[in-house]
Amino acid sequence: MRRVAVIGVGVTKFGKHDRTSAELFAEAARDALIDAELSPSAVQALYYGNVVGSETEKQLHTGPQAASVLGIPTVPTTRFETACASSHAAFRHATMEIAAGVSDIIMVGGAERVLNVPTAESTEYFAYASDASWEQTLGLTFPGVFALVARAHMAKYGTTEEQMAHVAVKNHRHGVLNPKAQFRKEITLDTVMTSPYIADPLKLYDCCPFTDGGAAVILASEEVARRHKRPIWVLGSAAASDYMLLHDKKDLSRVPATERAAAAAYRQAGLEPDDVDVVELHDCFTIAEIVATEGLGLFEPGAGGIAAEKGWTSLGGKIPVNTSGGLKAKGHPIGATGAAQIVEIVTQLRREAGQRQVDGAKVGLTHTLGGNTATVLVSLFGRD
Amino acid sequence: MTETAVTLKKFFETARDGRLTAIKCGRCGNLEIPPKEFCDACGQRDWKPLALSGDGTIASYTIIRVAPTKHAGDAPYAVAVVKLREGVSLFGRIVDIPLDRLAVGMPVRFRPLVIRNETAVGFGPA
Ligand SMILES: [Zn+2]
Repeated sequence: MRRVAVIGVGVTKFGKHDRTSAELFAEAARDALIDAELSPSAVQALYYGNVVGSETEKQLHTGPQAASVLGIPTVPTTRFETACASSHAAFRHATMEIAAGVSDIIMVGGAERVLNVPTAESTEYFAYASDASWEQTLGLTFPGVFALVARAHMAKYGTTEEQMAHVAVKNHRHGVLNPKAQFRKEITLDTVMTSPYIADPLKLYDCCPFTDGGAAVILASEEVARRHKRPIWVLGSAAASDYMLLHDKKDLSRVPATERAAAAAYRQAGLEPDDVDVVELHDCFTIAEIVATEGLGLFEPGAGGIAAEKGWTSLGGKIPVNTSGGLKAKGHPIGATGAAQIVEIVTQLRREAGQRQVDGAKVGLTHTLGGNTATVLVSLFGRD
Repeated sequence: MTETAVTLKKFFETARDGRLTAIKCGRCGNLEIPPKEFCDACGQRDWKPLALSGDGTIASYTIIRVAPTKHAGDAPYAVAVVKLREGVSLFGRIVDIPLDRLAVGMPVRFRPLVIRNETAVGFGPA
Protein backbone atom coordinates (compact mmCIF):
# COMPACT_ATOMS: atom_id res chain seq x y z
CA MET A 1 0.00 0.00 0.00
CA ARG A 2 1.19 3.53 -0.82
CA ARG A 3 1.50 6.35 1.70
CA VAL A 4 -1.10 9.12 1.38
CA ALA A 5 -0.81 12.80 2.28
CA VAL A 6 -3.01 15.86 2.50
CA ILE A 7 -1.52 18.53 0.23
CA GLY A 8 -4.25 21.17 0.21
CA VAL A 9 -7.06 22.37 2.47
CA GLY A 10 -9.89 24.89 2.25
CA VAL A 11 -12.93 25.83 4.29
CA THR A 12 -15.62 28.51 3.97
CA LYS A 13 -16.66 30.79 6.77
CA PHE A 14 -19.25 28.83 8.78
CA GLY A 15 -22.64 30.40 9.50
CA LYS A 16 -25.54 31.54 7.35
CA HIS A 17 -25.01 31.81 3.61
CA ASP A 18 -27.26 32.73 0.71
CA ARG A 19 -25.49 30.31 -1.64
CA THR A 20 -26.26 26.66 -2.47
CA SER A 21 -24.25 23.87 -0.87
CA ALA A 22 -22.60 23.24 -4.26
CA GLU A 23 -21.38 26.83 -4.32
CA LEU A 24 -20.13 26.59 -0.74
CA PHE A 25 -18.23 23.42 -1.52
CA ALA A 26 -16.75 24.97 -4.68
CA GLU A 27 -15.42 27.92 -2.68
CA ALA A 28 -13.68 25.60 -0.17
CA ALA A 29 -12.38 23.34 -2.97
CA ARG A 30 -11.05 26.35 -4.90
CA ASP A 31 -9.11 27.45 -1.81
CA ALA A 32 -7.77 23.91 -1.37
CA LEU A 33 -6.53 23.89 -4.99
CA ILE A 34 -4.84 27.28 -4.50
CA ASP A 35 -3.32 26.00 -1.24
CA ALA A 36 -1.98 22.89 -3.03
CA GLU A 37 -0.85 24.95 -6.04
CA LEU A 38 -2.73 22.55 -8.28
CA SER A 39 -4.81 23.08 -11.38
CA PRO A 40 -8.36 21.62 -11.28
CA SER A 41 -7.41 19.33 -14.17
CA ALA A 42 -5.02 17.44 -11.85
CA VAL A 43 -7.96 16.14 -9.76
CA GLN A 44 -8.87 12.56 -10.67
CA ALA A 45 -11.96 12.00 -8.51
CA LEU A 46 -14.32 13.76 -6.11
CA TYR A 47 -15.51 12.04 -2.93
CA TYR A 48 -18.27 14.20 -1.48
CA GLY A 49 -20.35 14.43 1.70
CA ASN A 50 -23.83 15.94 1.76
CA VAL A 51 -26.66 14.80 4.02
CA VAL A 52 -29.97 16.66 3.97
CA GLY A 53 -29.70 18.29 0.55
CA SER A 54 -32.67 16.24 -0.62
CA GLU A 55 -34.77 18.00 2.04
CA THR A 56 -33.40 21.53 2.49
CA GLU A 57 -32.46 22.11 -1.16
CA LYS A 58 -34.75 19.49 -2.78
CA GLN A 59 -31.58 18.22 -4.40
CA LEU A 60 -30.31 14.69 -4.99
CA HIS A 61 -27.21 13.77 -6.96
CA THR A 62 -25.27 16.50 -5.20
CA GLY A 63 -21.88 14.98 -6.12
CA PRO A 64 -21.87 15.80 -9.84
CA GLN A 65 -23.61 19.10 -9.07
CA ALA A 66 -20.75 20.09 -6.75
CA ALA A 67 -18.14 18.89 -9.27
CA SER A 68 -19.84 20.88 -12.06
CA VAL A 69 -19.91 24.10 -10.06
CA LEU A 70 -16.26 23.61 -9.08
CA GLY A 71 -15.33 23.09 -12.74
CA ILE A 72 -14.32 19.42 -12.76
CA PRO A 73 -17.53 17.98 -14.30
CA THR A 74 -15.99 14.89 -15.91
CA VAL A 75 -14.19 13.25 -12.97
CA PRO A 76 -15.80 10.25 -11.27
CA THR A 77 -17.84 11.61 -8.36
CA THR A 78 -19.48 9.80 -5.46
CA ARG A 79 -21.61 11.20 -2.69
CA PHE A 80 -21.26 9.61 0.74
CA GLU A 81 -23.98 9.65 3.37
CA THR A 82 -23.13 8.45 6.87
CA ALA A 83 -25.10 11.24 8.57
CA CYS A 84 -22.76 13.74 10.26
CA ALA A 85 -19.68 11.61 9.45
CA SER A 86 -20.25 11.75 5.67
CA SER A 87 -17.16 13.62 4.48
CA HIS A 88 -14.93 11.69 6.90
CA ALA A 89 -16.23 8.46 5.34
CA ALA A 90 -15.51 10.02 1.92
CA PHE A 91 -11.98 10.81 3.13
CA ARG A 92 -11.32 7.24 4.26
CA HIS A 93 -12.42 5.79 0.93
CA ALA A 94 -10.32 8.30 -1.02
CA THR A 95 -7.33 7.38 1.15
CA MET A 96 -7.81 3.72 0.29
CA GLU A 97 -8.13 4.47 -3.46
CA ILE A 98 -4.83 6.32 -3.46
CA ALA A 99 -3.13 3.78 -1.19
CA ALA A 100 -4.24 1.04 -3.61
CA GLY A 101 -2.66 2.86 -6.55
CA VAL A 102 -5.90 3.50 -8.43
CA SER A 103 -5.63 7.31 -8.32
CA ASP A 104 -2.90 9.82 -7.43
CA ILE A 105 -4.88 12.95 -6.56
CA ILE A 106 -8.41 13.06 -5.11
CA MET A 107 -10.55 15.95 -3.91
CA VAL A 108 -12.51 15.15 -0.73
CA GLY A 109 -15.02 17.43 0.85
CA GLY A 110 -18.57 18.22 1.70
CA ALA A 111 -21.12 20.95 2.16
CA GLU A 112 -24.47 21.52 3.75
CA ARG A 113 -27.14 24.16 3.67
CA VAL A 114 -29.80 24.15 6.40
CA LEU A 115 -30.32 27.72 7.60
CA ASN A 116 -32.65 28.38 4.65
CA VAL A 117 -35.40 26.40 6.45
CA PRO A 118 -37.02 26.99 9.89
CA THR A 119 -35.49 25.28 12.98
CA ALA A 120 -38.44 22.89 13.52
CA GLU A 121 -38.01 21.71 9.93
CA SER A 122 -34.25 21.17 10.17
CA THR A 123 -34.79 19.42 13.53
CA GLU A 124 -37.09 17.02 11.71
CA TYR A 125 -34.63 16.39 8.83
CA PHE A 126 -31.76 15.71 11.25
CA ALA A 127 -34.02 13.24 13.08
CA TYR A 128 -34.24 11.23 9.83
CA ALA A 129 -30.88 9.80 10.92
CA SER A 130 -32.73 7.92 13.69
CA ASP A 131 -34.95 4.93 12.96
CA ALA A 132 -38.19 5.77 11.14
CA SER A 133 -40.36 2.97 12.60
CA TRP A 134 -39.21 3.00 16.21
CA GLU A 135 -37.78 6.44 16.97
CA GLN A 136 -39.06 9.08 14.56
CA THR A 137 -42.66 7.97 15.20
CA LEU A 138 -42.13 8.88 18.88
CA GLY A 139 -40.62 12.28 18.14
CA LEU A 140 -37.02 11.52 19.04
CA THR A 141 -34.75 14.41 18.10
CA PHE A 142 -30.98 14.58 17.67
CA PRO A 143 -30.53 16.46 20.97
CA GLY A 144 -32.83 13.78 22.43
CA VAL A 145 -30.44 11.00 21.41
CA PHE A 146 -27.52 12.63 23.20
CA ALA A 147 -29.68 13.60 26.15
CA LEU A 148 -30.30 9.86 26.63
CA VAL A 149 -26.53 9.29 26.44
CA ALA A 150 -25.96 12.13 28.91
CA ARG A 151 -28.50 10.81 31.42
CA ALA A 152 -26.94 7.32 31.25
CA HIS A 153 -23.43 8.78 31.69
CA MET A 154 -24.59 10.87 34.66
CA ALA A 155 -26.27 7.86 36.28
CA LYS A 156 -23.24 5.61 35.79
CA TYR A 157 -20.34 7.98 36.52
CA GLY A 158 -21.81 10.97 38.34
CA THR A 159 -21.05 13.32 35.45
CA THR A 160 -22.71 16.70 36.07
CA GLU A 161 -24.46 19.30 33.94
CA GLU A 162 -21.78 21.76 35.06
CA GLN A 163 -19.00 19.51 33.72
CA MET A 164 -20.80 19.41 30.38
CA ALA A 165 -21.11 23.20 30.46
CA HIS A 166 -17.30 23.44 30.75
CA VAL A 167 -17.02 21.84 27.30
CA ALA A 168 -19.19 24.57 25.77
CA VAL A 169 -17.27 27.37 27.53
CA LYS A 170 -13.93 25.93 26.37
CA ASN A 171 -15.00 25.44 22.75
CA HIS A 172 -16.42 28.97 22.56
CA ARG A 173 -13.11 30.27 23.96
CA HIS A 174 -11.29 28.40 21.18
CA GLY A 175 -13.79 29.59 18.55
CA VAL A 176 -12.88 33.22 19.27
CA LEU A 177 -9.43 32.42 17.83
CA ASN A 178 -10.80 30.90 14.59
CA PRO A 179 -11.75 33.45 11.88
CA LYS A 180 -13.90 30.80 10.12
CA ALA A 181 -15.99 29.97 13.22
CA GLN A 182 -19.74 30.65 13.33
CA PHE A 183 -19.56 31.96 16.92
CA ARG A 184 -16.58 34.06 17.97
CA LYS A 185 -17.77 35.09 21.39
CA GLU A 186 -16.75 33.84 24.82
CA ILE A 187 -19.52 32.54 27.05
CA THR A 188 -19.58 31.91 30.80
CA LEU A 189 -20.56 28.82 32.76
CA ASP A 190 -23.61 30.78 33.85
CA THR A 191 -24.65 31.41 30.23
CA VAL A 192 -24.76 27.66 29.65
CA MET A 193 -26.32 26.72 32.98
CA THR A 194 -29.15 29.25 32.71
CA SER A 195 -29.97 28.53 29.05
CA PRO A 196 -33.29 26.76 28.43
CA TYR A 197 -33.54 22.96 28.22
CA ILE A 198 -33.81 21.59 24.69
CA ALA A 199 -33.89 17.92 25.72
CA ASP A 200 -33.15 17.50 29.46
CA PRO A 201 -30.38 17.39 30.67
CA LEU A 202 -29.11 19.17 27.53
CA LYS A 203 -29.62 22.91 27.39
CA LEU A 204 -29.42 25.29 24.44
CA TYR A 205 -25.70 25.94 25.01
CA ASP A 206 -24.92 22.21 25.20
CA CYS A 207 -25.97 21.93 21.55
CA CYS A 208 -24.05 22.80 18.40
CA PRO A 209 -25.84 25.19 16.03
CA PHE A 210 -27.34 24.60 12.60
CA THR A 211 -24.76 25.80 10.08
CA ASP A 212 -24.21 26.39 6.37
CA GLY A 213 -20.70 25.79 5.07
CA GLY A 214 -18.28 23.77 2.98
CA ALA A 215 -14.86 22.19 3.44
CA ALA A 216 -12.37 20.43 1.18
CA VAL A 217 -9.04 18.60 1.38
CA ILE A 218 -6.84 17.31 -1.42
CA LEU A 219 -5.23 13.90 -1.01
CA ALA A 220 -2.20 12.72 -2.95
CA SER A 221 0.09 9.75 -3.28
CA GLU A 222 3.55 9.97 -1.69
CA GLU A 223 5.19 10.55 -5.09
CA VAL A 224 2.97 13.57 -5.79
CA ALA A 225 3.09 14.79 -2.18
CA ARG A 226 6.91 14.86 -2.13
CA ARG A 227 6.77 17.64 -4.74
CA HIS A 228 4.69 19.76 -2.35
CA LYS A 229 6.17 21.94 0.33
CA ARG A 230 4.41 20.67 3.46
CA PRO A 231 2.60 17.35 3.09
CA ILE A 232 0.72 16.10 6.14
CA TRP A 233 0.68 12.32 6.19
CA VAL A 234 -2.35 10.13 6.80
CA LEU A 235 -1.06 7.68 9.43
CA GLY A 236 -4.32 5.78 9.86
CA SER A 237 -8.00 5.99 8.96
CA ALA A 238 -10.65 3.64 10.29
CA ALA A 239 -14.43 3.30 10.45
CA ALA A 240 -16.70 1.39 12.80
CA SER A 241 -20.43 0.98 13.15
CA ASP A 242 -22.88 -0.03 15.82
CA TYR A 243 -26.57 -0.89 16.13
CA MET A 244 -28.66 1.88 14.63
CA LEU A 245 -31.43 1.69 17.23
CA LEU A 246 -30.83 3.15 20.67
CA HIS A 247 -32.65 0.27 22.33
CA ASP A 248 -30.35 -2.32 20.72
CA LYS A 249 -27.25 -0.74 22.28
CA LYS A 250 -25.94 -2.52 25.34
CA ASP A 251 -24.70 0.53 27.28
CA LEU A 252 -25.90 4.06 26.41
CA SER A 253 -23.09 5.70 28.39
CA ARG A 254 -20.52 4.53 25.84
CA VAL A 255 -19.99 4.73 22.09
CA PRO A 256 -18.42 1.37 21.17
CA ALA A 257 -17.99 2.46 17.53
CA THR A 258 -15.60 5.19 18.71
CA GLU A 259 -13.62 2.64 20.73
CA ARG A 260 -13.38 0.23 17.77
CA ALA A 261 -12.52 2.86 15.15
CA ALA A 262 -9.89 4.40 17.45
CA ALA A 263 -8.29 1.03 18.19
CA ALA A 264 -8.04 0.28 14.45
CA ALA A 265 -6.63 3.73 13.58
CA TYR A 266 -4.02 3.59 16.39
CA ARG A 267 -3.01 0.11 15.21
CA GLN A 268 -2.60 1.26 11.59
CA ALA A 269 -0.47 4.21 12.74
CA GLY A 270 1.51 2.25 15.32
CA LEU A 271 0.56 4.92 17.85
CA GLU A 272 -1.13 5.16 21.24
CA PRO A 273 -3.45 7.79 22.69
CA ASP A 274 -0.50 9.35 24.58
CA ASP A 275 1.24 10.09 21.25
CA VAL A 276 -1.53 12.45 20.10
CA ASP A 277 -0.85 16.20 20.45
CA VAL A 278 -4.08 17.74 19.15
CA VAL A 279 -7.61 16.42 18.59
CA GLU A 280 -10.65 17.55 16.61
CA LEU A 281 -13.59 15.46 17.76
CA HIS A 282 -17.33 15.34 17.29
CA ASP A 283 -18.85 17.64 19.93
CA CYS A 284 -22.33 17.88 18.40
CA PHE A 285 -23.38 18.08 22.06
CA THR A 286 -21.17 18.72 25.09
CA ILE A 287 -21.74 15.17 26.37
CA ALA A 288 -20.57 13.83 23.00
CA GLU A 289 -17.15 15.43 23.57
CA ILE A 290 -16.91 13.93 27.06
CA VAL A 291 -17.80 10.42 25.86
CA ALA A 292 -15.48 10.76 22.82
CA THR A 293 -12.45 11.74 24.93
CA GLU A 294 -13.03 8.51 26.87
CA GLY A 295 -13.64 6.36 23.78
CA LEU A 296 -10.48 7.66 22.10
CA GLY A 297 -8.48 6.57 25.14
CA LEU A 298 -7.47 10.12 26.13
CA PHE A 299 -9.11 9.60 29.54
CA GLU A 300 -10.47 6.62 31.49
CA PRO A 301 -14.19 5.80 31.09
CA GLY A 302 -16.06 8.17 33.40
CA ALA A 303 -13.18 10.69 33.62
CA GLY A 304 -14.20 12.81 30.61
CA GLY A 305 -16.34 15.15 32.70
CA ILE A 306 -13.54 15.75 35.19
CA ALA A 307 -11.07 16.37 32.34
CA ALA A 308 -13.38 19.07 30.94
CA GLU A 309 -13.82 20.66 34.36
CA LYS A 310 -10.06 20.71 35.07
CA GLY A 311 -9.23 22.29 31.69
CA TRP A 312 -7.16 19.31 30.53
CA THR A 313 -8.74 19.56 27.05
CA SER A 314 -8.23 23.30 26.72
CA LEU A 315 -5.52 25.03 24.66
CA GLY A 316 -2.48 24.86 26.93
CA GLY A 317 -3.91 21.80 28.71
CA LYS A 318 -2.76 18.18 28.73
CA ILE A 319 -4.39 17.38 25.34
CA PRO A 320 -6.04 20.27 23.50
CA VAL A 321 -9.40 19.24 22.03
CA ASN A 322 -11.29 21.18 19.36
CA THR A 323 -8.90 24.09 18.91
CA SER A 324 -11.11 25.21 15.99
CA GLY A 325 -13.99 25.82 18.38
CA GLY A 326 -15.41 22.41 17.53
CA LEU A 327 -18.89 21.81 16.20
CA LYS A 328 -20.13 23.87 19.16
CA ALA A 329 -18.55 27.20 18.20
CA LYS A 330 -17.05 26.69 14.74
CA GLY A 331 -20.39 25.26 13.60
CA HIS A 332 -21.67 21.97 12.16
CA PRO A 333 -22.57 21.97 8.44
CA ILE A 334 -23.07 18.21 8.69
CA GLY A 335 -21.86 17.08 5.26
CA ALA A 336 -18.75 19.26 5.59
CA THR A 337 -17.85 18.56 9.20
CA GLY A 338 -15.48 15.59 8.78
CA ALA A 339 -13.46 17.44 6.14
CA ALA A 340 -13.47 20.66 8.20
CA GLN A 341 -11.99 18.79 11.17
CA ILE A 342 -9.19 17.52 8.92
CA VAL A 343 -8.59 21.10 7.70
CA GLU A 344 -8.00 22.17 11.31
CA ILE A 345 -5.63 19.29 12.13
CA VAL A 346 -3.62 19.86 8.92
CA THR A 347 -3.41 23.58 9.82
CA GLN A 348 -2.17 22.64 13.31
CA LEU A 349 0.42 20.16 12.05
CA ARG A 350 1.70 22.71 9.52
CA ARG A 351 2.06 25.07 12.52
CA GLU A 352 -0.14 27.63 10.78
CA ALA A 353 -2.91 27.92 13.38
CA GLY A 354 -1.82 31.33 14.66
CA GLN A 355 -3.18 32.19 18.11
CA ARG A 356 -4.73 28.76 18.55
CA GLN A 357 -1.54 26.86 17.59
CA VAL A 358 -0.66 23.88 19.79
CA ASP A 359 3.10 24.22 20.37
CA GLY A 360 5.14 21.53 18.68
CA ALA A 361 2.12 19.55 17.42
CA LYS A 362 3.41 16.45 15.59
CA VAL A 363 0.45 14.03 15.66
CA GLY A 364 -3.20 14.98 15.24
CA LEU A 365 -6.45 13.01 15.39
CA THR A 366 -9.91 13.59 13.94
CA HIS A 367 -13.06 11.83 15.15
CA THR A 368 -16.44 12.14 13.46
CA LEU A 369 -19.67 10.53 14.61
CA GLY A 370 -22.77 9.90 12.52
CA GLY A 371 -26.40 9.54 13.55
CA ASN A 372 -27.44 7.63 16.68
CA THR A 373 -23.78 6.89 17.51
CA ALA A 374 -24.00 4.22 14.78
CA THR A 375 -21.12 5.44 12.57
CA VAL A 376 -17.71 6.62 13.70
CA LEU A 377 -14.59 7.54 11.71
CA VAL A 378 -11.20 8.13 13.30
CA SER A 379 -8.10 9.29 11.40
CA LEU A 380 -4.56 10.05 12.51
CA PHE A 381 -2.19 12.54 10.87
CA GLY A 382 1.51 13.35 11.17
CA ARG A 383 4.14 15.69 9.77
CA ASP A 384 7.60 14.89 8.42
CA MET B 1 -35.63 -21.06 3.83
CA THR B 2 -37.56 -20.28 6.98
CA GLU B 3 -39.79 -17.28 7.45
CA THR B 4 -38.48 -14.29 9.41
CA ALA B 5 -39.71 -14.97 12.94
CA VAL B 6 -41.32 -11.59 13.60
CA THR B 7 -41.62 -8.85 10.99
CA LEU B 8 -41.86 -5.17 11.92
CA LYS B 9 -45.49 -5.15 10.77
CA LYS B 10 -46.29 -8.18 12.95
CA PHE B 11 -44.55 -6.65 15.98
CA PHE B 12 -46.60 -3.46 15.78
CA GLU B 13 -49.88 -5.26 15.01
CA THR B 14 -49.45 -7.35 18.16
CA ALA B 15 -48.22 -4.33 20.11
CA ARG B 16 -51.41 -2.48 19.14
CA ASP B 17 -53.31 -5.27 20.91
CA GLY B 18 -51.19 -4.76 24.02
CA ARG B 19 -48.64 -7.55 23.59
CA LEU B 20 -44.87 -7.18 23.09
CA THR B 21 -42.96 -9.87 21.24
CA ALA B 22 -39.21 -10.39 21.32
CA ILE B 23 -37.24 -13.04 19.44
CA LYS B 24 -35.07 -15.59 21.19
CA CYS B 25 -32.20 -17.45 19.53
CA GLY B 26 -32.80 -21.21 19.65
CA ARG B 27 -29.03 -21.85 19.52
CA CYS B 28 -27.51 -19.46 22.06
CA GLY B 29 -30.49 -18.01 23.91
CA ASN B 30 -29.77 -14.41 22.84
CA LEU B 31 -32.86 -12.21 23.19
CA GLU B 32 -33.46 -9.38 20.68
CA ILE B 33 -36.10 -6.92 19.55
CA PRO B 34 -37.26 -7.84 16.01
CA PRO B 35 -36.74 -7.71 13.15
CA LYS B 36 -33.33 -9.39 12.87
CA GLU B 37 -32.35 -11.95 10.26
CA PHE B 38 -29.25 -13.47 11.91
CA CYS B 39 -28.34 -13.67 15.60
CA ASP B 40 -25.37 -11.35 16.07
CA ALA B 41 -24.20 -13.35 19.09
CA CYS B 42 -23.81 -16.73 17.34
CA GLY B 43 -24.41 -16.01 13.64
CA GLN B 44 -27.22 -18.56 13.43
CA ARG B 45 -30.78 -18.12 12.21
CA ASP B 46 -33.06 -19.93 14.62
CA TRP B 47 -35.40 -17.33 16.14
CA LYS B 48 -38.44 -18.19 18.22
CA PRO B 49 -40.99 -15.52 19.20
CA LEU B 50 -41.12 -14.82 22.93
CA ALA B 51 -43.90 -12.88 24.64
CA LEU B 52 -42.61 -10.11 26.91
CA SER B 53 -44.22 -9.07 30.19
CA GLY B 54 -44.05 -5.35 29.35
CA ASP B 55 -42.59 -4.58 32.80
CA GLY B 56 -39.31 -2.77 33.07
CA THR B 57 -37.34 0.12 34.53
CA ILE B 58 -36.15 3.38 32.95
CA ALA B 59 -32.51 3.03 31.80
CA SER B 60 -32.39 6.61 30.46
CA TYR B 61 -34.92 9.29 29.59
CA THR B 62 -35.18 12.80 28.24
CA ILE B 63 -37.84 15.45 27.96
CA ILE B 64 -38.08 16.74 24.40
CA ARG B 65 -38.87 20.45 24.55
CA VAL B 66 -37.90 21.43 21.00
CA ALA B 67 -39.74 18.94 18.81
CA PRO B 68 -39.75 18.13 15.10
CA THR B 69 -42.55 19.81 13.12
CA LYS B 70 -44.79 16.70 13.22
CA HIS B 71 -44.62 16.41 17.02
CA ALA B 72 -44.51 20.10 17.93
CA GLY B 73 -48.06 20.00 19.30
CA ASP B 74 -47.11 17.32 21.86
CA ALA B 75 -44.06 19.12 23.35
CA PRO B 76 -42.86 18.86 26.03
CA TYR B 77 -42.94 15.06 26.07
CA ALA B 78 -40.68 12.39 27.52
CA VAL B 79 -39.08 9.45 25.77
CA ALA B 80 -37.09 6.70 27.43
CA VAL B 81 -35.05 3.59 26.89
CA VAL B 82 -36.64 0.99 29.15
CA LYS B 83 -34.83 -2.13 30.31
CA LEU B 84 -37.49 -4.86 30.31
CA ARG B 85 -37.61 -7.59 32.96
CA GLU B 86 -36.53 -10.20 30.38
CA GLY B 87 -33.27 -8.29 29.69
CA VAL B 88 -33.91 -6.54 26.36
CA SER B 89 -34.43 -2.80 26.12
CA LEU B 90 -37.16 -0.94 24.26
CA PHE B 91 -37.50 2.71 23.28
CA GLY B 92 -40.83 4.37 24.03
CA ARG B 93 -42.84 7.50 24.83
CA ILE B 94 -43.64 8.10 28.53
CA VAL B 95 -47.34 8.63 29.26
CA ASP B 96 -49.29 9.49 32.44
CA ILE B 97 -46.19 10.09 34.57
CA PRO B 98 -45.49 13.70 35.63
CA LEU B 99 -42.31 14.85 33.86
CA ASP B 100 -40.70 16.06 37.10
CA ARG B 101 -41.10 12.63 38.71
CA LEU B 102 -39.12 10.74 36.08
CA ALA B 103 -35.92 9.03 37.25
CA VAL B 104 -33.46 6.41 36.07
CA GLY B 105 -34.50 3.10 37.64
CA MET B 106 -38.22 4.02 37.86
CA PRO B 107 -40.50 1.01 37.20
CA VAL B 108 -42.80 1.42 34.18
CA ARG B 109 -45.18 -0.77 32.16
CA PHE B 110 -45.77 -1.02 28.41
CA ARG B 111 -48.90 0.37 26.85
CA PRO B 112 -49.66 0.71 23.15
CA LEU B 113 -49.91 4.16 21.65
CA VAL B 114 -51.29 5.36 18.36
CA ILE B 115 -49.57 8.55 17.18
CA ARG B 116 -50.85 9.98 13.88
CA ASN B 117 -52.31 6.56 12.92
CA GLU B 118 -49.00 4.79 13.55
CA THR B 119 -48.65 2.27 16.36
CA ALA B 120 -45.86 3.17 18.76
CA VAL B 121 -44.43 1.97 22.04
CA GLY B 122 -45.55 3.75 25.19
CA PHE B 123 -44.70 3.28 28.86
CA GLY B 124 -46.94 4.32 31.74
CA PRO B 125 -46.89 3.84 35.53
CA ALA B 126 -46.07 0.27 36.66
ZN1 LIG C 1 -27.63 -16.96 18.77
